Amino acid sequence: MIKFIVFIISVTHTLYAHPHTFIEIYPTITVKNKIIENIKFKWQLDEMTSSMLIMEFDNNSDGKIDDEENRYVFENYFLTLKDYNYYTDVLIDNKVQFFPTPRNFKTSIENNRICYYFEINPQYNIKNTKFDFGDTDFFVAMILKKEFITITGATPKVSDLDNDFYFGYRLEIK
Amino acid sequence: MEFYQQILKQLVTLQYQLNSYISSTIRNLNDENNVTSSLLIIGIAFLYGLIHAAGPGHGKALVAFYFVSNKADYKKAFKMGYLISLIHAFSALLFTFGIFYVLKTMFRKNFNELSYITMQLSACLIILVGLYLLWESYKNKKSRESINNIQSNKSELSIAFSAGIVPCPGVMTIVLFCIVLKQYFLGILAAIAMSIGMGFTISIAGILSILFSKNANNYLDKKGYILEILGAVLIILLGLFLLSATTHH
Repeated sequence: MIKFIVFIISVTHTLYAHPHTFIEIYPTITVKNKIIENIKFKWQLDEMTSSMLIMEFDNNSDGKIDDEENRYVFENYFLTLKDYNYYTDVLIDNKVQFFPTPRNFKTSIENNRICYYFEINPQYNIKNTKFDFGDTDFFVAMILKKEFITITGATPKVSDLDNDFYFGYRLEIK
Repeated sequence: MEFYQQILKQLVTLQYQLNSYISSTIRNLNDENNVTSSLLIIGIAFLYGLIHAAGPGHGKALVAFYFVSNKADYKKAFKMGYLISLIHAFSALLFTFGIFYVLKTMFRKNFNELSYITMQLSACLIILVGLYLLWESYKNKKSRESINNIQSNKSELSIAFSAGIVPCPGVMTIVLFCIVLKQYFLGILAAIAMSIGMGFTISIAGILSILFSKNANNYLDKKGYILEILGAVLIILLGLFLLSATTHH
């Protein structure tokens, strides 16, 4: 009985949250002398979520995100993800760090999908660094596949992220 | 937790693929492939609902708690599952069309705010239902009389209502996507198909719960009110948990 109750409560831990938005992560990573010097991210949102966002982002309905619209997205949408550490936990010696301030943020519409571009210049050592992608609220599913990664100077390793109540991916660089 | 993790991974991957399949099929609808593609979308939406509801949420816990403490047959569990999914679909359709036409811009923000309000409302209703069930089992214990049917139906309806009132964002997304592409009728049909799928999964939770309580030992059977009270307390705790989870945002 107790086991059953514990099971039910643990399954319902995130009762109203299960992925409704899917974000594909395409990182381009530059490693020099075992130091991660630069990561350019492209996040590609699923088409359904994109269709909703385009209604709001593309204010003048010209099918593009211009500078002013980009600023709106950055301030009202992207920056709010800081509270979620940009769905990316950087672990150094297995301790979670704050995600570095993203630079050169750009939104675009590609094949009816919203794409976010941004980059970080972290200077992390590949030996003790891991990246965990996932939304602890599980409203967003982050999708990372090995073929999404472009890397120079090292090789990536993608594995399933073993968290109790949401699903994510771990990236290590060897 | 390894097994649970694997299930979760499969659920996410399947939804990711179905989500992308549905959106590209809807976008590629034209006069030639209209009927076959529409049928395909409805079929896929059913499957999507089935899998979607298997993830955390959608009132499965509430249904399970209810049936642990109330003697019922499988037919009742199915009825409950479908009642919830009906309310779920109706509320999603109402919210999506309503918000889309009333507040065309700033959709996402209002959508988030509204879903938090409905979640809180739902949590309060769940607590009230729990209190009602607690009161009922207390009365039963005193009078040693079985619950009459009218009362039982009333509490089933209130369970279904409080679990179903939160519109499913998954359904809302599909409906909205269809509205944007001006496929209104298809949007409604897809929402219904998805809800039927979800109803099936929610019913399974009820059935599993009935199976569990049937296997419970004789002692508890004789002192059924203990289970009833436990179930009611769990429902109240669930409501309190949800309320606290939705108010911190």
